[in-house]
Amino acid sequence: MKRIVALATAVLMAQLVAAQGAPIKIGGIWPLSDITGKQGSAAAQLAVAEINKAGGVLGRQLELIVVDDELKADKAAAAVEKLVTVDKVDVLVGGMASGAELGKIPAFKKYGKVVIATGAAGSGTVEKALGPSPDSDFYFHLHPWDYNQGASYSEGWDAIQAQYPNMKIKKIFLAYEEGAFGKSSWDQTKVLFGGRYTVDGAPFKSAAMGGGDYASMLEAAKDYKPDLFIWAGYDADALPMLEQAKAMKFNPGIYLGAPPGWPIGFGTSRLSANVMLYGMWAPAMNDTNKASKKFYDGFVAKFKEEPATYFAPLSYSAIFILADAIKAAGTVETAALIKALKATKYESPLGEVITFSKSNIIAHQGIKRQKILQWQAGRQEVIWPLEAKTEVPVYPFPQWK
Amino acid sequence: MKKASLPGILAAFVIAALAVALPSFAGAYPLQVARNVILYMALAVSWDMLLRSGQISFGIAGLFGFGAYASVLAVLRGGMDPWLSILFAALLSGILSFAIGLAILRLRLMYFSITTLALAEILRIIIHNLHDFSGGPEGVVLEGSIAGGNASALYLLSLAGLAVAIGTSLYFEKSKLHLALTAIRNNETSARSSGVDIFRYLLIAFVASSAIQGMMGGIYVQSYGFATPESVFDANFTLLPLAMALLGGIHSTIGPMLGAILLGLAAEWLKLQIPYGHLVVYGIIIIIVILFMPKGLYGLARGGRKSS
Amino acid sequence: MASKRIKTMATMAGAAAFVALAIWKPTVLIYGTQQAGLYASIAIPMGLVLGIVHIVNLAHGEFMMVAAYAAYSLSMATGMDPLIALIPTAAATSLFGFLVYRLTIRNALKAPELNQLILTFGLGITLSQITNILFTSQTRKLSLDYVSASVTIGELSFGIWSFVFVAAAIAMTVGLKLFLTRTMMGKAAVAVGQNPRGAAIVGIDVDRTYGFIFALALAMVGAVGALFLTKSSIFPGVGGPFTMKSFCLVAMAGVGNIPGILAASLLLGLSEAFLRVFRELRGWADIVFFVLIIAVILGRSLKERKS
Repeated sequence: MKRIVALATAVLMAQLVAAQGAPIKIGGIWPLSDITGKQGSAAAQLAVAEINKAGGVLGRQLELIVVDDELKADKAAAAVEKLVTVDKVDVLVGGMASGAELGKIPAFKKYGKVVIATGAAGSGTVEKALGPSPDSDFYFHLHPWDYNQGASYSEGWDAIQAQYPNMKIKKIFLAYEEGAFGKSSWDQTKVLFGGRYTVDGAPFKSAAMGGGDYASMLEAAKDYKPDLFIWAGYDADALPMLEQAKAMKFNPGIYLGAPPGWPIGFGTSRLSANVMLYGMWAPAMNDTNKASKKFYDGFVAKFKEEPATYFAPLSYSAIFILADAIKAAGTVETAALIKALKATKYESPLGEVITFSKSNIIAHQGIKRQKILQWQAGRQEVIWPLEAKTEVPVYPFPQWK
Repeated sequence: MKKASLPGILAAFVIAALAVALPSFAGAYPLQVARNVILYMALAVSWDMLLRSGQISFGIAGLFGFGAYASVLAVLRGGMDPWLSILFAALLSGILSFAIGLAILRLRLMYFSITTLALAEILRIIIHNLHDFSGGPEGVVLEGSIAGGNASALYLLSLAGLAVAIGTSLYFEKSKLHLALTAIRNNETSARSSGVDIFRYLLIAFVASSAIQGMMGGIYVQSYGFATPESVFDANFTLLPLAMALLGGIHSTIGPMLGAILLGLAAEWLKLQIPYGHLVVYGIIIIIVILFMPKGLYGLARGGRKSS
Repeated sequence: MASKRIKTMATMAGAAAFVALAIWKPTVLIYGTQQAGLYASIAIPMGLVLGIVHIVNLAHGEFMMVAAYAAYSLSMATGMDPLIALIPTAAATSLFGFLVYRLTIRNALKAPELNQLILTFGLGITLSQITNILFTSQTRKLSLDYVSASVTIGELSFGIWSFVFVAAAIAMTVGLKLFLTRTMMGKAAVAVGQNPRGAAIVGIDVDRTYGFIFALALAMVGAVGALFLTKSSIFPGVGGPFTMKSFCLVAMAGVGNIPGILAASLLLGLSEAFLRVFRELRGWADIVFFVLIIAVILGRSLKERKS
């Protein structure tokens, strides 16, 4: 008996020693044909390269294997299967669209490997599909849920109106694109702002989906005479909507856009002046935040292009959070890793210290706060949170000449 | 109508046996890829069934999405058993297509095609707009996947759906339906004067193919546990089966099957080889195959004989 | 005589509705017409190709997208305004389209129609994916002052730049009508469209006609692409929805009926704008289009069967 135990221990020790050199494999799933996924995966690669240069984690190098989810549920599911069963990754990372995320969830649950999710804001479907703790504890959701975003903006406008008393908001008009993104924004706005403000809205077909005519929506907005006009759509809507607003002489006190990204060169357009926006990160944060500057400089140096959306610093953060947790746990074994991730305190390029806490259904929600920014002189400047602000807001939105 | 040959039957038997036994020797990833290929294969085969009458349908996504939502809402709002809901989806799709068919099967050529496309879009928009009933643009989520998400079970479920599609298509090929549909396709006037009840046969083909498409929609949503208007009414569910059927060889059962295997596996393989830009090669493959093999793979194999 | 009376009544009803709209909700007329112009100018080239070469070009929207990107690149590189870039863009698109036609589509013409359909489907994927690789999926837009040109009548301010599409659509319709009825090539094209074999017997070079028509259609697509760039954001997938809309409009008008495309577009644009006025109906504006198509197609088939 003793000899068997000794033999088994020796074999185990030998295996452990051999594994010491083997890389830690991270499986990344992003929509590579979309700018968000392209840059998200690139930023993750940047993080992996930086960590490996500094010696890796636990003496092992990180290896990131990226598979395209093609924005489709069935392809996303196949990606998870490949990464876990063929590439034998230790952890999973990535995500952008809620639809693709839904396709992955059954496979995620089947394998139970740690997932650091960088996308999916749709709580009505994704959070519901994940279900409550402990079955969803492997899932660490970095990206805020739609209700997190709504609550954050509500807090933000309170703070802005308190800080800058000349900015008074009584009536809010939300223009929302007809798809899931717009509809959930509309639902959240009605719930979170309906109490203290007078809220109205109108749907429009986004130019990203073959629409691009905002006339009837802008007419309704103009008739309503809002203090705050918000549009929830996509980058393709940004400039055409402004051009139509100008043609119709629509001048709300605050004109705010909430797309996940902005068109190339938006800042160079004269129409961009003093448009406010919802977001999570802007290059202007390099001036006030060291982590942001480190990320930005590294990204530009390696890829010769600017990060266009917040998915880049978000994916970058995901890798560092993972690396820190593996270091703290001393292993990639799931239960220990989950425990270490729970204790995360990461100073992110997004300007806040990321920790995980409970959200409506799941236990491990990361970012809950958004930012309110404004385009000034061709640059996105942070207006709120006040601790991270880079500029004072310009108010009101200028009259069209 | 060629007589089935003994080697042919044996080969089919071996392939079928392998297909059923796949879960025992393939890992979860090949099973998932196989499921995706099977889905499109069933859609391609069912589309071809109607094509044999000369009618080109652009409405696959419409029936697929309709079946998907029929299944999902039956479970969510009616408490139906998930397995039963798939049959329900097939049944409801059949009924819907029967009603639609009565109205539109008199149309021909491009006008029929556009009408099926328009109807598919109408279904999508209705589901999209009836927020309270269907969950709206955000979609609905089920308790979980059917059979607890067991990879083998999901694979065998899809395979069962495919078997229904193939079986129906073969029946169409071997029965007198084949003669009738081919006659209609080649020359409607002489078919009519030969006494063929054109409308009846068109209706049968339309309802059969639509029921299968609706059933696959039910299988799809039950396998993944959710439905959104964008994901189930996706135009790719119409266009890709068409491309597969064409590349494989239309007016047959084997042709669409070959096409689905070709394009389905190529898509997955290309994606792993060329992470950024694999779809360019995919598009080029379609162009090249169409240009150099106008009768499709199966047509080429048949020795360039005039397609029946 | 009864049908003439019905026609007169219908025209009067239409005119009355028109006036009512102008007084009650003039914006429906204004924006509806502008949208109609956009739809028509994109659909007419597809109608030309469908009517004469008898192929449904599923890559139609992608050609427009490529033209828009070409105009964009030219604009960014030389500072040229897209309106000036319109001519080189139209020429380049025409040449590019002709090459594509010679290399691929022409070889598929002897094959069944479905082959051509899927061929153009493959072309569409290839074009949009290559654009994606070259330019990424991030949207681009030129910022031009004249696009927000507006006119104020009383309380109402509205943009007038989009009327350029109405002008383009009318120009295309009139130009094509003249071309198809007054020129040799045009009349040959009509003959080929109606009966290719008969035309070949009479001595018309069918292949050359097809090539020419394709090049002509793509020149128009190129011009529309440059115009499109002024008003809309461009991204690799921007063309797709327009292919389907154009196909539907051409079907609604009936193959070979170019002026019918104008009428169909106007019907579509106005009904969309009309529905959008009513808060509860806004989400259903899209469905009207498809219902109308089915109604028109079914109605026409019923009429044909009665006669």
